[in-house]
Amino acid sequence: MAHAGHRLDYLAGFCCPLGGLAAGKPRVLCHDSEVYLSNGSEFLYVYDQEGKELKAVYKCPEQVWHVELLPDPKQLFILCAHSGIYCVSLEEPGRLMEQTDSDGQEGDRPSGVFPVASEACVFPDPALCTFTLLNSFVVTLSQAQGQWWLKLHELPRAEQQGAGYRQLSELALGAEAGADAAARSLPVLCCASAPGAAGSGERLWCSGGFVLEEPLFSLLFGVDAAVLESPMILCGFPDGQLCSVPLKALSSPPGQEPPVKLLHHLEEPIVFIGALRTERRAAEEEEEEQPAGGCDCVVAVGHSGKMVAVKADERAAAAVPELREYGLRGPVLCAACGSGSRMYYSTPSDIAAVDLECAGEASDGEDAEGAAGVLPPVLSPASLSICSVVALSLSSRASEGESELLALSAKGRLVSCDLCSAEEAPATSLTPAEAGRRIKELLSGIGNTSERVSFLKKAVDQKNRALASLNQVMNVSAALLSSQDGHKPIACTVTANWSCLLLQDTVTISCVLENCSEYSLEQGWTLCVQLLASPCALEEDSVDSGTTFTFPIDQLLPGNKRELTLPLGSAADTKLDLPLTISCALYYSLRDILGSGCDSPEALDDFFPDDSPILSPDREGICLPLSECTIDMLQCLRLESGPRGPEAPALAPAPPAAPEPVETFLQVAREQTEPSTGKDGEPGDGDLPPSAASIRVSSELLKNALKNSGSGVPLSCATLRWLLADNAAAEALRGAEVAAVRGAAPRGGEVQLRVREVSMNDLSPAGPIQAVEILMESPSLADMCRVHHAVIRRIQALVLEQAAQGSGPPDLRMQYLRQIQANHEMLLKEAQALRERPPRGEDGAAAEKLLHVYRQLRNPSLVVL
Amino acid sequence: MGSCPPSSPCSQAPSHGTFPGFHCSPSKSRLEALGGGWRAGQGSGTRSVPLAQSIPVLVSLTGLPAALATLPLELTVLYNSLVFAMGASDCAINGEAEEIRQGLLRVLEACGAAGQDLSTEKLWQKVLQEVTVEELQAPLHRLAALQAAWWLATNRLGSVTGLFRLLSSAEHPGRAPCSEGKTQLLSLLRAWKVPAEEASLSLVQSAQDLKEVLCTAAAFLQGLQELEAGNLPAALSLLQEAAGGFCSKRLLAQIYTCLSCCTQRMGKPQTALQHLKRALQVDFQCLPALSRAAALYRELGEVDAELQALALLCEALERNPPAAASPPPCCLIQTEQLVHTPALSALLRHRHLSEVKYLLAQRCLEDGRMADAVEHYLDFLSLLQDGLQQQVPLDAGSALPRLPEVLLEAASALQQAGRPQDAITVCEEVVGRTASLIPQTLRVEERLEQPECPSPEPQLAAGPLSQKRESLRCLVWRTAAYLHQGWAWAQLDETKEAVTQFSRCLSDLLRVQLYQPGVETAGSLLPEVKLLQKIRLLSLIGRGAQFLELGKLKEALLDFQYGLQISPGDPAAASYLVQALWKLDRKQEAAARWQKLSESPAEEAGQQEGLGRPCPLYLVSCLKQATFPQNESLARDLQDYLQSTNS
Repeated sequence: MAHAGHRLDYLAGFCCPLGGLAAGKPRVLCHDSEVYLSNGSEFLYVYDQEGKELKAVYKCPEQVWHVELLPDPKQLFILCAHSGIYCVSLEEPGRLMEQTDSDGQEGDRPSGVFPVASEACVFPDPALCTFTLLNSFVVTLSQAQGQWWLKLHELPRAEQQGAGYRQLSELALGAEAGADAAARSLPVLCCASAPGAAGSGERLWCSGGFVLEEPLFSLLFGVDAAVLESPMILCGFPDGQLCSVPLKALSSPPGQEPPVKLLHHLEEPIVFIGALRTERRAAEEEEEEQPAGGCDCVVAVGHSGKMVAVKADERAAAAVPELREYGLRGPVLCAACGSGSRMYYSTPSDIAAVDLECAGEASDGEDAEGAAGVLPPVLSPASLSICSVVALSLSSRASEGESELLALSAKGRLVSCDLCSAEEAPATSLTPAEAGRRIKELLSGIGNTSERVSFLKKAVDQKNRALASLNQVMNVSAALLSSQDGHKPIACTVTANWSCLLLQDTVTISCVLENCSEYSLEQGWTLCVQLLASPCALEEDSVDSGTTFTFPIDQLLPGNKRELTLPLGSAADTKLDLPLTISCALYYSLRDILGSGCDSPEALDDFFPDDSPILSPDREGICLPLSECTIDMLQCLRLESGPRGPEAPALAPAPPAAPEPVETFLQVAREQTEPSTGKDGEPGDGDLPPSAASIRVSSELLKNALKNSGSGVPLSCATLRWLLADNAAAEALRGAEVAAVRGAAPRGGEVQLRVREVSMNDLSPAGPIQAVEILMESPSLADMCRVHHAVIRRIQALVLEQAAQGSGPPDLRMQYLRQIQANHEMLLKEAQALRERPPRGEDGAAAEKLLHVYRQLRNPSLVVL
Repeated sequence: MGSCPPSSPCSQAPSHGTFPGFHCSPSKSRLEALGGGWRAGQGSGTRSVPLAQSIPVLVSLTGLPAALATLPLELTVLYNSLVFAMGASDCAINGEAEEIRQGLLRVLEACGAAGQDLSTEKLWQKVLQEVTVEELQAPLHRLAALQAAWWLATNRLGSVTGLFRLLSSAEHPGRAPCSEGKTQLLSLLRAWKVPAEEASLSLVQSAQDLKEVLCTAAAFLQGLQELEAGNLPAALSLLQEAAGGFCSKRLLAQIYTCLSCCTQRMGKPQTALQHLKRALQVDFQCLPALSRAAALYRELGEVDAELQALALLCEALERNPPAAASPPPCCLIQTEQLVHTPALSALLRHRHLSEVKYLLAQRCLEDGRMADAVEHYLDFLSLLQDGLQQQVPLDAGSALPRLPEVLLEAASALQQAGRPQDAITVCEEVVGRTASLIPQTLRVEERLEQPECPSPEPQLAAGPLSQKRESLRCLVWRTAAYLHQGWAWAQLDETKEAVTQFSRCLSDLLRVQLYQPGVETAGSLLPEVKLLQKIRLLSLIGRGAQFLELGKLKEALLDFQYGLQISPGDPAAASYLVQALWKLDRKQEAAARWQKLSESPAEEAGQQEGLGRPCPLYLVSCLKQATFPQNESLARDLQDYLQSTNS
């Protein structure tokens, strides 16, 4: 059924507190023609529907959580967050002003802001979460000591002024109260009265409460409550429990179980409890003038849209209430029930009405008598086309006999929606007044529609943007993943350079991201560069040390390049020692696509299966690895300009880069105090020769490997060029035939690299073997080791490559080889023993010994054939 | 140690009065304002004012790094503010322990130690063992007393014992713990030397007072523990010790009530009565004592005294609602605040007016005082209709049975008091209330599968089993109501109406279908099932008797025969059967039955006893009515007949 003809009236606009109305606990109450409205801030507004004006504004000391009205005497009870319930008498605002000692001049204007003073606090309890009124009783629900406490207080009667609020009894509910339950969502209280109690004596006043008809009351609450005719409090807790407590038996001494009955568990925060009259026929036939009869169905709605309805099942002889769960489209912000069989609930996008009237006539074809008195199996919500309403109230103004829905939208607009106008006969001719009213209605309808349209449009735009982004992300991913073996269309090359930063020469790593694909990298992509000290680095605990740099990419069109540099070797992170493994990857965060509306990781699971390879480990984005390379000492050497011949003199004791007198002094002082044990990174002193290492590689092997590059130059020069090929400064070597270079390590140490051809006579029976000896020298042992490591790495790669081509080694004198091997094994053993021995007092000596062994191991050393 | 350090931070100690003017250098004016605030607060009756003022002082002090020089002052302010906080609240709150903890941490901080991750007990140990600064000992000891109060309030007696052991060993290093066992805590508490009060740092409640409070509370709590554990002599001595301690009259009355409970359990009801008497002498508002007295009289079988006690209790409750304000406290931290155990609240369970009214009515009914019973029952029923002011406890510990049973008892009283019409009305209520709660057919296993679960409150568990039992109970009440109505109509000589009610009862009884589980289990019959059989028998006898009145002898005979099938050897049914047979002129059978009946009266009585023992109060009157009236003429006729046939 379409509710096309609902008349919408825009009544008033209220300011919207920070974070929107939905963030607070907004509430709309109406009584007669007055609307009491709280928008989640500390203000409470009284709006007159007849005069269409704001009558009063009350300013409470804290955010308003809940409001109830006592009609006689007219009093407002306001629950403020973390402070308690304040009582404001609406009949004598003057008295209020007297009570509040604020400035008097403001009180003259009726529309002024009345501050609610702390004296008006009738229940000072910071743990209070919600409350409800029942005639002259106040039922409060508070949270203390990990439990919910239901307390019953009696209001002082009108004649006994000044009397306190007497607490009659209290009860601890077993329901577990989470520590921050109140912060997330508040519990809901509602009062259900027995049928007998309502009929007799004074009219029962209970806002939001209802009278339950007989079979259901007894069935739900038991025979004792029925005999007592006790009002029942229904509590809906944030954890989803729906409990009932008889108000007349609200006592439970410790150790005894309280008379609490768990009616249902919705497993989601309960936002609303109400009751409906589902069987209309019987009531209408009996007497027309009493439409507000008892209800025969209790409903509770959870925040995510689960709804439960309970009704006495009269068709079966089971004597148990029928309980049915429905699923509505959540999240449900608020709901309201009128006197009929309809319940209205609001979601961010719409208000919908569900009708629980027993569908006797709809299905009279099959088993009409079977379906009578039963809840409908499914609900068909009918839209009212009003979006983002955060508080609802159903008012029936007695004078007009029509019911209307008062709604407070998330933007703070109070709207009334006439629910009966659809059935009105259309007016044949309009008087000017009627026409004016009609135009007004149309205008407010347009206003509402435009608000709805803007909301929907925003949602659509966001979805479109998300789709477009997803599309380009998928394109890029596909391009990269499909070319895994060969050349990647988007590549990242990493080089090491020396540059001058802040007047200091440092090594920087530059990454060049080149987009050769046909898609552009849009905003949202991030280049992640991870620097990882290799596990084989000098320090043993450096395996886990890594640093990741991320660079957001604004846009990279096809064919474009972007260069990014990151400094290396700054003293700040000494952990990043050479050699470094650098891996580059592109990352795209899916969270941004989904926008703020979605913050659950489950939503991403819909996009990708669990084992999707491109999903990043945190399952929140797409990660595409680009390249991985290693930066070692050879790449970072800063070569000195003047190439030297092979006859270059032995390395002099390395002078500091800038021979400053003070530094020299300090250095000398240091050397004098500690015995020289050849510590890492320390420039050697005069006595100690610079650390050296050498590797011999058979010329044949090298020639084979370098035959395409090293034509026309001596093998030693070609070898050196090959070693320094990745060095950015090595271009200078191209011109001349150089067999030795000298350079500076990133941290200032000096390194010399010499290559010469030697012949090894005693290795092969077939005669001397021509070999190339690579000699590395540095005053700093650490630098020497780094160079050694870098050279070995290269040669390893070369040997592997050659071995793959299947060139056999020359005839060798095994005896000699064995001798070398045995020597090395012995040295290794010695080194191992030294390392395993726990360093004791004489660790200086041990370290020196160890160092010596290492030196021996390196020089004269391996022969690679 | 324990003596006050003579060098207080400033020694101009003026005679500012006894109340908390803190005369100390750092922030003198504010601290004095705090003292003044307390005075003002005391006048207006709200104790939160000084508390609110002492917090900024504390905050401003704790904002600075902890320093040994200001720590005594800081700890004293902490002590005072905590005393205020505890005094202002009804019971100790969680936060206070945290504040004490923070204080201790600051002490450690000042001494260059840390203890963030220690438990509070360990923290105290560390502080008391490691901090030896003389000036800090007195404030630390006072704070320890406060900690003990907090622990007592949360019933952590072990922690208190540990703390005071530390305190005493700090005082007398090397001395072994004085005594073992139960009295250890008390002797430790007594042995604790209260630090002397310094003139410069006033306290809102002296440590001596606090010590007294602690002693009383500890004795009381331990006595309660022993009472619960069943160590009655130990409980007695501890409670007597507590009674001699420092506490308010209200608490003293409570202690006496507990003493009476203890002596009652020791089998000394007269001593128990003496204790109760003393409790009421101390505090005549100690209503639990009154209700315990009623229970004691009931045990002693003194109905008059019991009823009198109950009536007094009733009057007291009617006049003075129990939530009346307590008398103004004598000091900030009182013993009452430290004694919170479930055992105590169970012992001193507060009876609601409704419960007392019911007890009165029930006792009158049991004792056969029908007029009084009717009055009290009607009082009680009108109480149910009162507003929410009159709470009607329905939990398991309540004196009230299920409400339909109360209604049935009221009907029974009304009927016995000669008001059958009213009884019918009351029963109609039960019939109406239970109408929708009994399914058309109720399949019930005859025997309990598992031992009876201790859940007397059927509303709690919503399982299908308990729901079935609840339906069964409703059926019991409904049929019992019909039974009462039947007898009431019979009393009104409306025989036909009576037959109708008995028939309704019998037809409702057919709703239940008993079946036996496959295996014959040793479980006992469900009590409700037994009751239903009893009701069936009674209504068969009732209907038979009415048929006899109407002259429908055959129907009567059938009913009596059915009755005997249900309960073979039931004397009433058998006697009625004899009468029916005699009237039907089946004299031989009648005589044989009669002979059998008169031969084994003792055995049958025993059988009868076995079947009908747990008869609820509301069925007693029906049982009485179903007994066969002494019929001399029939006996004579039978005798004559037997003699004539024998001869």
